[in-house]
Amino acid sequence: MNGSDEIILRVRRFDGTREWWQSYQIGLTGVTSVLDLLNKVREEKDHTLAFRQSCHMGTCGSCGMVINGKPRLACQTNISELDAGVVNVEPMHNSPVIKDLVVGLDSLIENHKKVKPYIIRGKKEEIFYAPREFEVTQEGTTQFLQFDYCIMCNLCISACPTVTIDPLFLGPQALGQAFRYLADPRDEGWAERLELVDDDHGIWRCHFAGACSYVCPKDVDPAKAIQLMKKELLKKRLLIRRGKKGAEITEPLQPHFTEEKLTAAPPLDFKRGD
Amino acid sequence: MANDSIWKRLISSLDPRHYNIERWSYTLHRITGVVLILFLIAHMVEIFHISLGPESWAATLALLGRLGPLENIGLWIIAGCVFYHGANGLRLLLNQVFGLLLGKPRMPVYPYTPTSLGKNQRIAIWTITAVVSGIWIWAGLYILAGLGIV
Repeated sequence: MNGSDEIILRVRRFDGTREWWQSYQIGLTGVTSVLDLLNKVREEKDHTLAFRQSCHMGTCGSCGMVINGKPRLACQTNISELDAGVVNVEPMHNSPVIKDLVVGLDSLIENHKKVKPYIIRGKKEEIFYAPREFEVTQEGTTQFLQFDYCIMCNLCISACPTVTIDPLFLGPQALGQAFRYLADPRDEGWAERLELVDDDHGIWRCHFAGACSYVCPKDVDPAKAIQLMKKELLKKRLLIRRGKKGAEITEPLQPHFTEEKLTAAPPLDFKRGD
Repeated sequence: MANDSIWKRLISSLDPRHYNIERWSYTLHRITGVVLILFLIAHMVEIFHISLGPESWAATLALLGRLGPLENIGLWIIAGCVFYHGANGLRLLLNQVFGLLLGKPRMPVYPYTPTSLGKNQRIAIWTITAVVSGIWIWAGLYILAGLGIV
């Protein structure tokens, strides 16, 4: 930025047939983030510039793009932190470009679905007709909550060198979510989910470059999840562990609220007694 | 991008600029691994000539002798690849098989610093770099002394 009132924004554009870099000189008044900058370009200079956005506060994960060589959320990247007179913006790597900064997320969604991102129970009725919640302790919650904060922004996939080489690789997002459910005390799909990731394009393709965790805007740390899942998979292969018993459904917390007691209870008397 | 050629994607996957030190380590691990595979293939071709008789083996040695100091420098590079690939491989074993140096799952606290890329990992990587560099320099001196350069 160098104290100047203007900045040069270079955008790698794509119109369906050709790619090119386009430069815009933009005033910095009213601009904080790279997303502000892109909006200003679209409002004042070029209506045809395409990019995704929604919440503007790092929650929806829509505005992922490669900014000055690193995948980031445009709404959470301040111009001042880039400390550069030129901001280069490209679409996320490892995903097909649809237009300008908009990429196709089909493989992200498909891979996410493949790892069964939901609680699996031995008895299905416990999921759909559970009379009460499952018993989960604070320690049990800590085992998976970090990985639950994934907003599916695709940044980890953009950063992953393995996805670059093997487009069929499940990818850090899906594998991170597989571990999220694997570590969930309520889940009983331990063996089933490990089978799913133990594949030619599965977990063993990860060589721990750690780039996914480095770019993750929510501290989901997919690299940690994947390495911990490899350890679980080895336990399964070496028959050290064969399965996992899920958390039990809680007992009624306050027995005096049971159906029988409520029926047997005398009618409420709102008169103040002497 | 996904529509790039395989070569462009390969080069892109080995480019660690703008990323973490673990990604640099990944790149170096891949490159040293490929160098070692190529060396092993070349070495197998070399020793295969023993089975073709003494003349063939003598011709192979003569061919290598023609390389002069380049052979020793090549061996020094191979030694560096062996040291780095081996030491970094041990770190990766600790990470991937035993789940060590990664930190435990925890509640995210801003500013986010992933524990898998935390202090333990850095210490391991810099220790490997220091030890491997030391051994490699020693190996270099040994090889160069053999050549009469040092």
